Amino acid sequence: MEKKTAVYICTGCGIGDALDVGKLLEIATDDYSIPICKEHPFLCGPEGVEVIKKDIQEEGINTIIIAACSPRVNYDVFNFGADKIVERVNLREQVVWMQPPGEEDTQMLAEDNLRMGCSKANDTELPEPFKPEEEISKDILVVGGGLAGLTAALETAKAGYKAVLVEKEDRLGGFLTKMKKLVTMPYKELSDTGLEDLVKAVEDNPNIKVYTSSTVEKISGAPGLFSVEIKGNGNSATEKVGAIVQATGWVPYDANKLDHLGYGKFKDVVTNVEMEEMAAAGKITRPSDGKDVKNVLFVQCAGSRDPEHLPYCSSVCCLVSLKQAAYIKEQNPEAVNYILYKDMRTLGQAEDFYKKAQLDGNVFVRGSVANVGEEGGKLFVEADDELLGERIRIEDLDLVVLAVGMVPSTQPDEIPRIPAPEGAEGADEEGMIEVTPDSGFYATKALGLEYRQGPELPTLKYGFPDSHFICFPYETRRTGIYTAGCVRRPMETAKVIDDATGAAMKAIQCTEATSVGMAVHPRSGDMSYPEFNMQRCTQCKRCTEECPFGAINEDEKANPLPNPTRCRRCGVCMGACPERIISFKNYSVPMIGNMIKAIEVPEEDEEKPRIVALVCENDAYAALDMAGIRRMQISPYVRFIPVRCLGSVNLVWIADALSRGIDGILLMGCRYGDDYQCHFIKGSELANTRLTKVSETLDRLALESDRVKFVEVGITDYEKIPKIIEEFMETIEEVGPNPYKGW
Amino acid sequence: MASYDPSFAREVFENVDYGEEIKMCMQCGVCAASCPLSMRMDYSPRKIFVMIRAGKREEVLNSNAIMLCTSCYSCKVRCPRGIPVIDVMHGLANYAIRQGYTPRKKTAVFGQEFWKQIYRLGRIDEKDLSRRYFFADGFTQGIRNSLEMADMGITMFLHKRMKLLPERPIKGIKDLRKMLDKAAQMGKGGGGAI
Repeated sequence: MEKKTAVYICTGCGIGDALDVGKLLEIATDDYSIPICKEHPFLCGPEGVEVIKKDIQEEGINTIIIAACSPRVNYDVFNFGADKIVERVNLREQVVWMQPPGEEDTQMLAEDNLRMGCSKANDTELPEPFKPEEEISKDILVVGGGLAGLTAALETAKAGYKAVLVEKEDRLGGFLTKMKKLVTMPYKELSDTGLEDLVKAVEDNPNIKVYTSSTVEKISGAPGLFSVEIKGNGNSATEKVGAIVQATGWVPYDANKLDHLGYGKFKDVVTNVEMEEMAAAGKITRPSDGKDVKNVLFVQCAGSRDPEHLPYCSSVCCLVSLKQAAYIKEQNPEAVNYILYKDMRTLGQAEDFYKKAQLDGNVFVRGSVANVGEEGGKLFVEADDELLGERIRIEDLDLVVLAVGMVPSTQPDEIPRIPAPEGAEGADEEGMIEVTPDSGFYATKALGLEYRQGPELPTLKYGFPDSHFICFPYETRRTGIYTAGCVRRPMETAKVIDDATGAAMKAIQCTEATSVGMAVHPRSGDMSYPEFNMQRCTQCKRCTEECPFGAINEDEKANPLPNPTRCRRCGVCMGACPERIISFKNYSVPMIGNMIKAIEVPEEDEEKPRIVALVCENDAYAALDMAGIRRMQISPYVRFIPVRCLGSVNLVWIADALSRGIDGILLMGCRYGDDYQCHFIKGSELANTRLTKVSETLDRLALESDRVKFVEVGITDYEKIPKIIEEFMETIEEVGPNPYKGW
Repeated sequence: MASYDPSFAREVFENVDYGEEIKMCMQCGVCAASCPLSMRMDYSPRKIFVMIRAGKREEVLNSNAIMLCTSCYSCKVRCPRGIPVIDVMHGLANYAIRQGYTPRKKTAVFGQEFWKQIYRLGRIDEKDLSRRYFFADGFTQGIRNSLEMADMGITMFLHKRMKLLPERPIKGIKDLRKMLDKAAQMGKGGGGAI
């Protein structure tokens, strides 16, 4: 598109009082030949916007540079349509509010920001939405026909979309088929499972196609374009879907590992799952001799909240035991139930069910099991009663029920091994190495994705599929694939229904966004996507391996094969490529390089250092804005450049900056590691790793490696910003000015 | 090692006024924390409840805790389960006495004499009550107690708080007794004078 650019500088919010706006307009007009440069005292007001709209209409302006407040605000006000380029220059939060008014350095900072903005607008092209040749499907695949899967399929159909449901057993219902009753809202008494009605609703629904006794063999493609191969009953079928919900559920923790609690030793020690099956089948009796049950003891947290077994709490076992205690009482009102617990976790309204259990006369003992034994055909349990303060013995028990926890179906029984890459540590004699949970090769088979980075969803803690769960609960590390139900977190039936509904909605959202070429999340609405200039590709595979979302496959010639609908537009591939062949229409390596080159670097004798800070748009940029809102003052020598993710930082920018005489480069991004905050999972971690390579290069160039620093900044760390900048400035003072200035 | 015995709990549910309320106790300990007399008690109210559930009959019925409750209501207003703690404590005390235990004999005696007077007169006759209370352990001890409290007695008399002549029953004493009899019927044996 032929650009007709205009610059509008707002003088409101203190900008006009602190800066020489006339000088700024001159720079835009003279240095960047921008035909229309105006100022306005209240640009975000209706009159201000009208000025811009008038220019758009009468002068044909299509590239608008707004030098005013932060791009994080007023984006709705300064929205002139998808066919216009809007570039925001932050003069308010990051200049006028953080610097003393009227000072020379403040003016220089504002001028540099404007220069960078003009340069960026110059290099920006309007993104064209990605339209694949193949038609985009808006159908949803649901893997797993338990409560979560059934609900997800039903909600998808209710919303007017088609669902394909694949269940490996011969009947639908998952664990619900083994349950006698439920405890759910309003938690006053036992409820029916509602399974029959639910299954009927799904089977009768014309928008849901059900495959039972079937598994997903293979999935190829990308969101909107998934091709799913389903095998079962001796047949094979292929379905085209747009998004996937994985609701493959859980398995109970292996009680054979709990022999210290008597399992396997005594026949009358059973798990809560076995207890439920007994109850659902008819009558609860002693497994050893089939006689009636009078005294039952429930051991809570059996193998849970225990570093030797499952370190986490499975959240439902307390309610389940109370439910089963109610079964016993129903069967025999004279029966006595003992509940031996660490904590009674009946959260929220479920407390009402705890009260009911107490009213029924169940005996609650808080303590831990010391010993389970048998005497005279009956069981006894010795435990340390915390509330009584002594060790007690509960005897004459007919049944001991171990409340075991949930293990997600993704957790493999044995850690898989793959051929070890060269130089890897920990390989065994056959050259095989254990896969880390953090990869697509770890989880048990459920999807069979034809992704270079592995056939399953990467997991993180305890085998649950990883997601940035604070911000994006259902999202996994694979775009278009959402998890629901106990596979992603142990939860009770009321929550499963909510969860499945949410996941279905996200799946639908994905197909709709993909159909118009938009990114799904976290850069919702982003129409750009990475484009590869294959002529210069050296097949180094860095982009393919480093993409946090497995968006890039490999073709026969070992070139990267991008799948734009899998992409989250983070730019990690762009940062990885040493040949710099990857770019987005509105975000590229030369673009940031030119922005850096647009900065005016004073001569060494002026003693005004220049720092470039590459700031991730997620948390770090927001933290800076917040520091500005609080009028925290920082050094005027730092030039902030927002990037999509620190993972998109290409090392050539550092080389560019240093060769231009920039004294220091600060990378401000999100926390990484197990408790990561990075919205692109691995971005900031990769940036940090790449920086270690940079220090080698710097040392060779006789430049101090201290000049480049990586800092983790969370959105709540805004108060630390002044200190961070100050410390870095001190380091730069120590190492002295860049010797390449003025070259 | 003590064995859990659910039979005492059942005994309490059936025979102690408000005894079944302790089923709801979740052992949070707020009652023990707020009780002003808890430092004098051998077992705090919370402990009493868990001991009932564990079947520690002798310890509970012999404890001075159940006799020390002053009905200040600090526990009852705070109990998150709404258990009428003071009523349970008094119920237990009453039950203990009925079963022949007398923890804190003095409190038991005073309580019973007080109650008998109410039933008989519909009001309290201070000197009569004091006399019965002081002389509960025998004549000699009675004289000693009376001499100790002599100052208090004389001051009360001088301030017209105590009469020398016996008090007469209240006017509606027959109706009062009917009410108390009815209340005794409604309870689990804890109502009425023992």
